[in-house]
Amino acid sequence: MTSRTLALILLLISLLTAVASGQDKMTRDQWQSAMTAATAKVADLQAQLTKLQGDKTALTAQSAKLDADLRACEDALYALLGVSRAEADAFVKELADIEKRVDELQKMGDAELLSHRDELERIQLRLKELSGNKMALIPRFGDKIRSLQEKVAAMLQGLSTEKTYTVGSWSRTHDCLWNIARKKDIYDNAWLWPKIWQANRDKIRDPDVIKPKWVLKVPEKKDLTKEEKAAANRYYRKKAAAPSGE
Amino acid sequence: MPKSMRFAFLSLGAAALLLVVGCSNSPSDDELRKLQELQAQVKQLDEQVTAQQKENAALEKQNAEKNGRLQQCQTDQEAVRKATGGK
Repeated sequence: MTSRTLALILLLISLLTAVASGQDKMTRDQWQSAMTAATAKVADLQAQLTKLQGDKTALTAQSAKLDADLRACEDALYALLGVSRAEADAFVKELADIEKRVDELQKMGDAELLSHRDELERIQLRLKELSGNKMALIPRFGDKIRSLQEKVAAMLQGLSTEKTYTVGSWSRTHDCLWNIARKKDIYDNAWLWPKIWQANRDKIRDPDVIKPKWVLKVPEKKDLTKEEKAAANRYYRKKAAAPSGE
Repeated sequence: MPKSMRFAFLSLGAAALLLVVGCSNSPSDDELRKLQELQAQVKQLDEQVTAQQKENAALEKQNAEKNGRLQQCQTDQEAVRKATGGK
């Protein structure tokens, strides 16, 4: 390698170094423009913050005024009704509690609801008492009480109405005790067929024979009782002992 | 001095000159620190503005609810007055 080539390489390296060191540094113009932009942004944000803090003061004052107005309005309302604030609060809370409980009871199935019949009757009685409360003169509370009374009455009505099923013809509906018990709106469980049999002993002598147009009582859905199980076992034994083809 | 050596020294001199010119066009460390401080202030103010906006929005919502309750109370008063025969 000649000394001339060496000198050229040295020059190239020096130039590249100079260019690279200039590239990753900010120029004075860039700095100036960044400073101007940041200063403007600070001024803008400070103005925004000042405005927002002013808004907050106004909103807080508005909130305090609304509190005072609301309290004065409620005091006047309770004075009109002749009830104390404590009595009014207790009434509102009790009504809310009843509403919540009625909603829970409405979600229960018939069988579960039946075990809460006493509670439903107590609620019905309490709603009647509450409807006589002076607070019930306030339309939204009076309306709520009436609506809850309707709901509770409907639930109690549903419990007291015994479910029935009218037997259809075999050719059309394929009704037998097994198939009836299996229906979604009856028990959704074919193995509960002895319940229908035992509840309708006056009509059904032989559980294999039911006739079209018979109106069968359908007891509430729950596990078979000891008697129903015993009756079912007697039936199964009898069927097993009977000669085939019978 | 051989000709090639002279060429090499000249090249080094040119590169050094380029470096000096490039550096003198850059902001000083103090100026860069000022810019960083300003940018940090922007970030902090931005956060404060966002927090204040949220706080004000919550207050506005709260006031709207209170206003609704006040109107409800006034409606109740009217209804009770009517029900009790305007006493």
